[in-house]
Amino acid sequence: MTNKKLLGAAAALCGLIMISATPASADLLDDIMQAKKIRISTDVAIPPSGMMDSSMKPTGSDVEVAQLLAKDWGLELEFIQTTGATRIPNVLTGKADIIISTLSVTAERAKVIDFTKRYATLQSDVGCLKSLNVKDWPDLKDKTIGVSRGTTQDTTLSNMKDKDLKIARYDDDATEVTAAVSGQVDCVGTSATIINQIGVKNPARIFESKIPLATFDLAIGLKKGEQRLMDKLNAWITENVKNGKLNAIYKKFHGVDLPADMRS
Amino acid sequence: MSLQLDFPAVLERWPHFLAGAALTLELAAFSTVCGAVLGTLAAVGRGAHNSLIAGACKIYVEAIRNTPLLVQIFLVYFGLASLGLKFSAFTVAVAALTINVGAYTAEIMRAGFEAIPRGQIEAAEGLALSRLQIYWHIILLPAIERVYPALTSQFVLLMLASSVCSQISAEELTAVANYIQSDTYRAFETYIIVAVLYIILSLVMRAGFWGLGLVLFPRRRRLGTPL
Repeated sequence: MTNKKLLGAAAALCGLIMISATPASADLLDDIMQAKKIRISTDVAIPPSGMMDSSMKPTGSDVEVAQLLAKDWGLELEFIQTTGATRIPNVLTGKADIIISTLSVTAERAKVIDFTKRYATLQSDVGCLKSLNVKDWPDLKDKTIGVSRGTTQDTTLSNMKDKDLKIARYDDDATEVTAAVSGQVDCVGTSATIINQIGVKNPARIFESKIPLATFDLAIGLKKGEQRLMDKLNAWITENVKNGKLNAIYKKFHGVDLPADMRS
Repeated sequence: MSLQLDFPAVLERWPHFLAGAALTLELAAFSTVCGAVLGTLAAVGRGAHNSLIAGACKIYVEAIRNTPLLVQIFLVYFGLASLGLKFSAFTVAVAALTINVGAYTAEIMRAGFEAIPRGQIEAAEGLALSRLQIYWHIILLPAIERVYPALTSQFVLLMLASSVCSQISAEELTAVANYIQSDTYRAFETYIIVAVLYIILSLVMRAGFWGLGLVLFPRRRRLGTPL
């Protein structure tokens, strides 16, 4: 073997090593499939999307979506518990593979993570005590609105500087709901589902939606640049919207169907 | 794994950080002053001859020292609201922190009282000092001087522990950090800045206590030695 041939063989070998080495570290889907385990970031303190049942097992619409995904893909499921504010850092720092946790699609978030297509929607409102006469923004003037820190409701309300709103930020929805139930705040900015839940917890303080804030698409969030995982997730969502499974989960926990334009 | 830190993106929110740090310092200052008074009273009460007062002080100290601060804060915040008493998050935070640090202060002060030699009190009685004079000059001030370093640590700890007040919507330094972090998604940078700010606050508090010590204890000012 001449020197030239030897050199060529060495170069080819190096190239081979490089080719075989790159995908393992660059593709999250392969990592997940190899580990036979998917780590999903879900907040289990925001009923009815994520909560603990009477035997302290996670349950809720997001929890069941995560379980369905893991079952369909034949993977073990590990929940990475999170709060609203730590959902995105969890996938950015590699602590979790994906986020299924009432994550609304927003332009700011899209700068740091990728979103799949929507698997559900979220209507958020400003809700107040039923007895309060609140019809429009000026009626909220001297009332404190409780929100969960870092959520889209927090950002939306905080940016309404001209409306002169008083906002109390709690660390998660559970604390925000307790603040409403116990009487610390008479208004909250959160999902329509949670607003209705307050009255269930304390019949003396029934809340109702007063002013609509926004309708958000909920999607699965993942680290940027994981195209193969994204494609597989999108295909899974399309299939499960079509076969009605995602709608069934949503209806079971939220009491209503997914919007018609999403199901058709 | 590559890590890119972008401090300017977070530092441009400096007015928020500053407001948070100011509120943290305010929380710490109010609860330190109130807690020192409450703790001293509880320590005096624990040594009282009246067993009802002594028992009540003991229950207070033990109940607080054996429950988490966060639980105490929630108890005050949500408990009072359930009774129909609404206070601002700041008031509740100061009240809860005061109750908490008062119990720890009481234990530290009790140690100080017990370290006063019996003979010193007898000597004061022999010199015909009044009871109030004895309590102030012979017991309280030397006791505080002796446990002053421990008290200082406890109050700095209190300032650091005030971070849990973010839970009840007090916009102190940690709450501000959580908000900025959730808005910029620059968690690492945000918490590094906040950690540095907490260190600065601690140093400020320690310097303050050192200066206060010089004013309060003329003996130490002149001799420069611990009691």
